[in-house]
Amino acid sequence: MTATAPPAPAHGAPSRGRVLPPPVTGQEVVLVALIAVLWLVLGLATPAFLSAGSIVPLLVATAPVALIGIGMTVVIVTGGIDVSVGSTVMVSAVVVATTMVATGVPLPAAVALSVAVGGLLGLVNGVLIAYGRVHAIIITFGTLNLFRFIGLRVFDSSTVEGIPATLAVFGRGEAGRTLGVPHSFAITLVLAAAAWWYLRHTAGGRHFYAVGGDAHAARLAGVAVRRRVLSAYVLTGVLAGLAACFVLAQGTSSLAANVGSGTELAVIAAVVIGGTSITGGRGSVLGTVLGALLVQTVATGVTQLGWPSQLSALFVGVSIVVAVGTDLIRQRTRRSS
Amino acid sequence: MGTDPAHEARDPRDAHRAHAPARPPRLAVRGVTKRFGAVRAVRGADLVVAPGTVHAVVGENGAGKSTLIKILSGAERADTGTVAVDGEEVTISSTADAMALGIATVYQEPQLFAELTVAENVFTGRELRRRGRVDWAAQHARVVELLTLLGLPERYATAAVGSLSIAEQQQVSIAKALAGDARVLILDEPSAILTDAEVEVLFGVVRRLTARGVSIVYISHRLDELPLIADEVTVMRDGRTTGTHPIGEVSVRRLVELMVGGLVETERAERTVADAPPRLELRGLGVEGRFSGVDVRVRPGEIVALYGLVGSGVAEIGATVYGIAAATAGEVVVDGRAVRPRSPAHAKALGIAMLPADRKQQGLFTFQPISFNISAGHLGLLSRARVWVDRAREREVARDMVRRLSVKTPSERQVVSALSGGNAQKVVLARQLVDRPGVLVLAEPTQGVDVGAKEEIHRIVTGLADEGTAVLIVTSDLPEALRLADRVQVVRAGTTTAEFGRGATQVDVLAAAAGAGDGAGQVAP
Amino acid sequence: MTATAARPADAGTDRPESLPAKALRVLLTQRTALLVVLLVAVLVTMTTLSRRNYLTAPYDTGYLAATLINAVPLVMLGLAELLVITSGRGGIDLSVGSIVSLTGMVFGFAYGLWGWPLPAALLLAVVFGGLCGAVNGALVAYLGFPALITTLATYYAFSSLALVVNRQQPINSEPVQQLYSAAAAVDLPLLPEAFPRVPLGVFTFLLPTALLVWVVLARTTWGRRLYAVGTNDVAARWAGIDVRRTRFSAYVAAGAISGLVAVVTVAQFASARPDAGTTGNGMALPAITIAVLGGVAITGGIGRVGGVVLAALLVVWLNAGILLAVPGNAGAQFQLLSLGVVLVVAALLNGVATRRYGGTS
Repeated sequence: MTATAPPAPAHGAPSRGRVLPPPVTGQEVVLVALIAVLWLVLGLATPAFLSAGSIVPLLVATAPVALIGIGMTVVIVTGGIDVSVGSTVMVSAVVVATTMVATGVPLPAAVALSVAVGGLLGLVNGVLIAYGRVHAIIITFGTLNLFRFIGLRVFDSSTVEGIPATLAVFGRGEAGRTLGVPHSFAITLVLAAAAWWYLRHTAGGRHFYAVGGDAHAARLAGVAVRRRVLSAYVLTGVLAGLAACFVLAQGTSSLAANVGSGTELAVIAAVVIGGTSITGGRGSVLGTVLGALLVQTVATGVTQLGWPSQLSALFVGVSIVVAVGTDLIRQRTRRSS
Repeated sequence: MGTDPAHEARDPRDAHRAHAPARPPRLAVRGVTKRFGAVRAVRGADLVVAPGTVHAVVGENGAGKSTLIKILSGAERADTGTVAVDGEEVTISSTADAMALGIATVYQEPQLFAELTVAENVFTGRELRRRGRVDWAAQHARVVELLTLLGLPERYATAAVGSLSIAEQQQVSIAKALAGDARVLILDEPSAILTDAEVEVLFGVVRRLTARGVSIVYISHRLDELPLIADEVTVMRDGRTTGTHPIGEVSVRRLVELMVGGLVETERAERTVADAPPRLELRGLGVEGRFSGVDVRVRPGEIVALYGLVGSGVAEIGATVYGIAAATAGEVVVDGRAVRPRSPAHAKALGIAMLPADRKQQGLFTFQPISFNISAGHLGLLSRARVWVDRAREREVARDMVRRLSVKTPSERQVVSALSGGNAQKVVLARQLVDRPGVLVLAEPTQGVDVGAKEEIHRIVTGLADEGTAVLIVTSDLPEALRLADRVQVVRAGTTTAEFGRGATQVDVLAAAAGAGDGAGQVAP
Repeated sequence: MTATAARPADAGTDRPESLPAKALRVLLTQRTALLVVLLVAVLVTMTTLSRRNYLTAPYDTGYLAATLINAVPLVMLGLAELLVITSGRGGIDLSVGSIVSLTGMVFGFAYGLWGWPLPAALLLAVVFGGLCGAVNGALVAYLGFPALITTLATYYAFSSLALVVNRQQPINSEPVQQLYSAAAAVDLPLLPEAFPRVPLGVFTFLLPTALLVWVVLARTTWGRRLYAVGTNDVAARWAGIDVRRTRFSAYVAAGAISGLVAVVTVAQFASARPDAGTTGNGMALPAITIAVLGGVAITGGIGRVGGVVLAALLVVWLNAGILLAVPGNAGAQFQLLSLGVVLVVAALLNGVATRRYGGTS
């Protein structure tokens, strides 16, 4: 983690700051710089870009991907993966939407319901992966279909109509902002900061890294490996449940059955671009949020420049290759030194 | 192996009584035994370690050292016998028990997390906490203390373990062991993977620890370093401790005799090798940082063994001849022609075959049948037009090999994971023999193989040599080297040193390999 | 279809096992045995339901034959996944669907707009698909990128290019529309009248591909090298096999098969659609599911053509039955359920088999 910033040679009483590895990795600095440059260039090219009318939707669109990315980062840090998050979002969204249509539940209950549904589905993944001893990608490919089935059964017909505006507080409209900052993005930032702090400063958080680094050594050192793995998937499910509320709030009063599809790939892309190693043991929530922001910036930029919007996926693909490539080079230089 | 009653009978405590301490010994092991199924790994171990001393434990491979360590570290439970720490009898039934008693072990393979910092590695699983969070400052302070003790720079506390060298990682393992206030520190062959300069650093660490009252159990194959670091030495042979000696009272030569049980005559068949120009010659071969100045000549029909202890660089020499690693100095000469094996495929084209040292990792295609395992190295040969597998030929060759090497199996279609170690090794060996190579390199040919299969493999190898193959054996199994080889060359500190013809004893060779000085021309390129 | 399956390692045991125990072991360790049993169970159940009029339409041979059209892309892409997953080191290809989309557009241009003859356009599709696979292969085999991430990246890149290349517009010119006949069911000249009408694509694409992959894996030196590399790439290197080239070629082959599927898909829809392989869940996820269900080990080195074909037949005919048993939208939904349950249960059984018998084959 420190390979990018060699410790200062100056000695003396260890100050608080020097006790820890640097809080921000090199990859994150690069991402911040990249996003800043992109915003600047886009701002100059299309003056409309830096207006609230453009930035707010960008942040609102980033929020669900970044939010699920927090959980996905933890999952990938433990050496796993979860390709079922798109289906989890779908199930949570449709359960909450139909409940709101049927009973008009208030906001807290809607959020609680969504989070509970997501957490339950995450628990299913976690139990199967931690105790079934089957590779996470196979299990989550399976549950992807299972969850989708559940979601479609709840949908019953192809769309849910007439959803009340209970969740507008997470949307991109006036109700979704305070002092111009969209609530969904602010919540994502707060949760990301909390996760960052937890992963960095608590024993439980550090144990995720130990599990992903070498599960066997972690077990020998007294880490509760299965519990760590289980909790990573539950966390991802819970966050996917909350993200479902954000997704609902972005839409109109109707919800289509294709909600959430493709989310898993977008989230994994954000995590990888953020510098988390797909082989486990290393990763940062901060990077993931920045990765999600970069992807959304590219998407917004492409449309604002009048290019075909589909080009943004090409840039995402290239970004992934570049991010993984630099990571590989970094690992190799370190190993050979 | 013969026994030496005089040493068997010696009470290990006799030697200790010479400077009898008033305090109880830090660690006292008495009458410990352990069996795994039919194998009696430890038949009776006694070990008494005084506080603040370095106690070396030496013995050949399989003498029971590792099992004894596992018992002390809680990884295995003893069948009988007692262990006492500071005079109090204790039960060690788990690694946690051992740690709680202050017995810490540093294994050869560091169990570390490359992406985490040194400080985190030291405290993984037992983090210092304050109000629910990791107390980084306290951990850092403690690690800095440990690093200072180990002579490592303070800034390493926040460095990722993966960015450190192997030697530094080992020191991190030591720090990890010490963090729990270890009273006894067990070091399992700590110097095997270190360079001479790094060994010096290690010794410094060990001396500083003993000065603070930590007792060290020091396992090592490098006998020459013992006088520099140990206070006492206990010899293990065939699962028994044979006695403890103050280090000043035994010579390296004497230790070797104790380890092998006196002057053992190695029974070996007389072979005559026709005088001929060498088929394989290594001239000053070297790989930067691994070994250098290796000179070996093998004539057709000759069996030459390269013998060296773990970490001597002997393992890498074979891999370089076979094109796995590229040589940075010297040359490989086959039939008088200098060649540069780029890859195993290239080496094979040059007539060099090699049996890899690690059967499981480098040799076997585990869940594939015997015939697959044999033909995998000869797909060009066993094919039509290099495209179609010639299944009839493949079957024929596999059956022929199964018969020739007497692999015990109902059919050549048997998957190799169902075979015993010895039979699996024969399958991997068979792969090397299909195209009758002129040069056969065998790395640890009988490691983890039962006695019967070992005999058979030895017979096969001798047979191959009789047919004119030049055989180079790379091994750390000394009796095997002496039995099988026409000449034994000792590899020490990354280069060939002494050479022994027939009639050499284990004592001579081991003494040269461990660096006793006599017979070993200290070549320092 | 299965190649010479090695007999279970019971030679060393001294006590003969009871018949039920043996049956259980064979079912758990021999994936093809399990699939055959499941397939028979599905066919018997559905036929019985059909006889008793629980289904909305008869579940007969004609119906089964007609639904085979769904098996064509599924089996072919399942075989593509078989090749890359078998190559080991976490091999997987998430990009097959987007290769189908992109190659379909390229084929559409060549055949539908530039007027290339069909064989040339077909060849172009295969070569172009192979090139897309080569991008994956170069990154994975030569540069050491993790396959999952590499193919995620190329999934994005290829699907983006497919959409951009003709401004999201499908190509459905006259020649492309006429291709539809290739996907229609046909009477076979040499077979008796009673033989059900099987979609032509099964004979022109599915069977040749399956046969080719089977021959290559079971009979050629390349197949041996692939299994060797996937089983243990370190040992393969020591045996003198060019590990990187072998792994690279597996991705190229997967791309080439995806190129063929692109042609099938264009014919089936009578249109080269820029999102043909990526709409909904896309084509990659079902293909991987079929491969895993067919017994392809995600750790590499294990996988047979027969298993993949059986798995695809099981899923297609189970789905066909579900469509008749559960009419309307719900049918499609229950298909997801069956796919998910079958995959998870098969994976868990793999785990059980590994612990109990030390491996599956």
